[in-house]
Amino acid sequence: MRRSALQWVAVHALAIAAAGFFVVPFAFVALTALMSNDQSLTRELWPHPFVWHNLVEVWHTPGFGTWWRNTLIYACAGTALTLLSSVPVAYALACFRFRGRNLAMMVVIATMMLPAQVSIVPLYLVWAKDLHLSGTLWPLIVPMAFGDAFSIFLLRQFLLTIPREYLEAAKVDGCSDLQVLLRVVLPMARPAVAAVALFQFFYCWNDYFGPQIYTSENPGAWTLSYGLQSFKSAHHTDWNLTMAATVLVMAPVIVLFFFAQRAFIEGVTLTGVKG
Amino acid sequence: MRTSRLAILAFLSPWLLGTGLFFLYPLADTVYLSFTHYNGFGSPSWDGLGNWTYVLRDYDFFWPALRNTLWLVVVMVTLRVVFGLAVAQLVISVKRGSNVFRTLFYAPYLAPPVASTLAFVFLLNPGTGPVNTVLEKLGIPAPSWFNDPHWAKPALTLLALWGVGDLMVIFMAALLDVPRELYEAAELDGAGALRRYRYVTLPHLRPIIGFAVVTGVIATMQYYTEPLVAGQVASGQIGGSGQQVEPGYPAGSTLTLPQLVYNLGFQRFDIGAACVVAVVLFALSMLFAAVLMRRGGGFIEADR
Amino acid sequence: MKRIHRVLALAAVSSVALATAACGSSGSADDNPDAKVTITFWHGWSAPNEVKAIKDNIAAFEKKYPNITVKSVGNITDDKINQALRAGGDKAPDVVSSFTTDNVGEFCTSKALVDLTPFMKKSGVDAATVFPKAQREYTQYQGDQCTLPLLSDAYGLYYNKTMFAAAGITSPPKTLSEFDADAVKLTKTSGDTYSQLGFMPDYHGYESTITHFGAQWNPTYFTSSGKSNVGKDTGLTSAYEWQKALVDKLGGYSRLEKYRTTFGDEFGSKNPFMTGQVAMSIDGEWRAGMIKDSKSTVDFGVAPFPVPDDQADQYGKGYVTGTIVGIASTSKKQNAAWRFVKFLTTDTGAVVSFANAIHNVPSTNAALASSEVSQDPAFQTFIKIAQNPNSSTTPSSPNGGAYQLTLQNLGYAYESGKTTDLQGGLDQAAKAIDQAVEQAQ
Repeated sequence: MRRSALQWVAVHALAIAAAGFFVVPFAFVALTALMSNDQSLTRELWPHPFVWHNLVEVWHTPGFGTWWRNTLIYACAGTALTLLSSVPVAYALACFRFRGRNLAMMVVIATMMLPAQVSIVPLYLVWAKDLHLSGTLWPLIVPMAFGDAFSIFLLRQFLLTIPREYLEAAKVDGCSDLQVLLRVVLPMARPAVAAVALFQFFYCWNDYFGPQIYTSENPGAWTLSYGLQSFKSAHHTDWNLTMAATVLVMAPVIVLFFFAQRAFIEGVTLTGVKG
Repeated sequence: MRTSRLAILAFLSPWLLGTGLFFLYPLADTVYLSFTHYNGFGSPSWDGLGNWTYVLRDYDFFWPALRNTLWLVVVMVTLRVVFGLAVAQLVISVKRGSNVFRTLFYAPYLAPPVASTLAFVFLLNPGTGPVNTVLEKLGIPAPSWFNDPHWAKPALTLLALWGVGDLMVIFMAALLDVPRELYEAAELDGAGALRRYRYVTLPHLRPIIGFAVVTGVIATMQYYTEPLVAGQVASGQIGGSGQQVEPGYPAGSTLTLPQLVYNLGFQRFDIGAACVVAVVLFALSMLFAAVLMRRGGGFIEADR
Repeated sequence: MKRIHRVLALAAVSSVALATAACGSSGSADDNPDAKVTITFWHGWSAPNEVKAIKDNIAAFEKKYPNITVKSVGNITDDKINQALRAGGDKAPDVVSSFTTDNVGEFCTSKALVDLTPFMKKSGVDAATVFPKAQREYTQYQGDQCTLPLLSDAYGLYYNKTMFAAAGITSPPKTLSEFDADAVKLTKTSGDTYSQLGFMPDYHGYESTITHFGAQWNPTYFTSSGKSNVGKDTGLTSAYEWQKALVDKLGGYSRLEKYRTTFGDEFGSKNPFMTGQVAMSIDGEWRAGMIKDSKSTVDFGVAPFPVPDDQADQYGKGYVTGTIVGIASTSKKQNAAWRFVKFLTTDTGAVVSFANAIHNVPSTNAALASSEVSQDPAFQTFIKIAQNPNSSTTPSSPNGGAYQLTLQNLGYAYESGKTTDLQGGLDQAAKAIDQAVEQAQ
């Protein structure tokens, strides 16, 4: 009894210490975001006075609203297109037997493992030199309409767990393959689809490399991640405003996470459970 | 389930097109361009092995970048797995408020990398950052983190450990998945906590650890945004107009292969040399993936 | 290979039903400059007062040539200019400007920017009489005048008068040994850091780069045959050695580096000279204007940067560079673009008012002599540095500023003590520079 009480205390103490590690950076960022310009480069930790106006000032920085809008367009369109293009592929890979299926799966995995930088040079040349679409969001969004390897992989892993009998039964009832997908598979796969959607949304929201390559020449097409990196140089700003901008970029994802927490955690788990 | 080949083809079509357009074609073109001289104007001219000898023999940044990438693969991936496992075990052991802890520990994983890197560079600023302020008050010698070639990669590792939430959640699921009877049987056999962990928990976790290592290595091969932003911001040169930004501040210690592709291809416009680095990056990624998948992870369920 | 690009591009595009904007990417100079036309101008200015100044300048141009509309895009870095010049297309810029002369060689040899000589001939602009010699030199590469100077920058010494008085220093140092002594006198340590630093010599200390220091020794970076000369140039060696000695005198590299991390942004209001964290700094003429425009109360003076002791007779020289402007070879409106470039770079009224507005040194002989130019003594000091015949600049090379990066990297290794063999380092740098130039050609 005594031992387990001690253990209880030890475990909770450790957990609280770990919470310090995970939460304190957020706290420092938030506190610095509220400091005055003069205070932000001192060793003081507590804002004095609180300058709430920093957030307003950053919000009204020319361009900030545009970055927001662009990021939202990229994330929403990217997510929708990824789902539309990846779900049928995962369905075919998981639910049908055909020659070349294993090969196809291996290619999916290889694509997944390919660093984006490997193929960026030829892709950039096509987008910039042949299509003249650099400086726009198109090079970021269009590829999403052609299936995303990670999403396909994740969805397929989940679809494999659906008992075959359901699908066969639906076919006996006269459903076409597409109808089976829409009426039987999709409703059962809702958690996986939700997880994939969230992952893709976050991927687009946080993406830096793509926007840096394709949109950097046109401030009107910047996204938040790229804009934030340029924020310091572009506006010659000091740390307090940079941190205020950081808060405004972090906030939406964190809020979204708190609302969609369950779907997330289920989704992450999904990627790993197929032991 | 059986169906017509045409239907299967229709379902697969977006991906088939995508694989051709965004995987096979660029890959082939990258290999081709690595043998050409090309500065982005006109068209590429055949250059044989010129770029290869330049990058592998003469170019000062290639080997340091490769070494950094390998350092990160070994140290960062290992620490992330160990730390993720420890945190997962901790959250599971917590009886009250387990959900709250899980949420708090997971949140940093979602922070946009540019934002979290900016935050860490600020927090670990040797002169005015809160972390060193606290360390010095406690009398602990404070390193210069992102401003010291020896500490820049450890600082990046710290940032990676902060975002360990993805692994934590996977490990939590796996730990909860270990059948209780196994523990009870081991306890009856007189196995202590450590032995139970060694002989019951770890074997059960093996495939998940394999998965974590494989995905970790893949992610590290692509490691780009964090070192780039950290280097630029910590150096004080943010790359405004007219500034020559040195890659990999401080002293090349944060330079990774993906950054080299950007630096050569999109700043120096030596497209051939950039493609050499890209081909090396590709070969390394595939090599790692093949070795790790063969050894560690049966995590991809085969045909059934 | 080009064909494959296009075929695949077409496939990609048609499958998503986007209109292609593909078209020939070669520009032309047969457009009619009197037709109604819009040209795109990319520049790097981003601070509000600078953006306003360039807008005023454009408005003056549009008033003079009502048929031409100029669309300006600011805050553009050289990387982006380089990318866009390669991409071409409708949205690509017609006129570009860069804060650095580093890439002039690359712009010229790659034909990214057109040679302006035919345009100048047609409009009767004689470069030799219009522009000062140094400015003419850094805007061309081996006879190809692919850019023109749009204001200049000269580097000098800024010093804090209050701190000088407190330390009993009566006049700014003229030689480097006087300078070193003053820097030490002005430095106050506190614990393992400083409460006040005389001068920040570290190469990351904003404008304290090896090329800016090096100008005091007038180094020869390339031989006449285009080979790197840095392994043989004794002036450059002296510059490295002087800096390293000063680093050691002021408390050593790691202490200085740590202090450096307490500095605010170079172009922000917390610049270390403006906050009083350092007593002296090497900086461009614009700093004086920035101090006046800010709330900083620092009482400062300016002077030419000190010279090596054995060159005391050359006191007054410094590092000179400037913003450059050119016309993209992909532009289809080159005649209209030339009207704009000509106005920006040669119209005395335009050059003077722009120089005054953003506190830069004018770049034409007429503007330099103009009585309209700010007569502020600090500003006149920089004008004299710019006009000094011994002032020098960094030459352009076919791969841009890459050689300067190599030299900077050697500087980082040497100041930190990682490299102790300076001559070996310079020989290696020379070899790397030659290899990189060769690789670029």
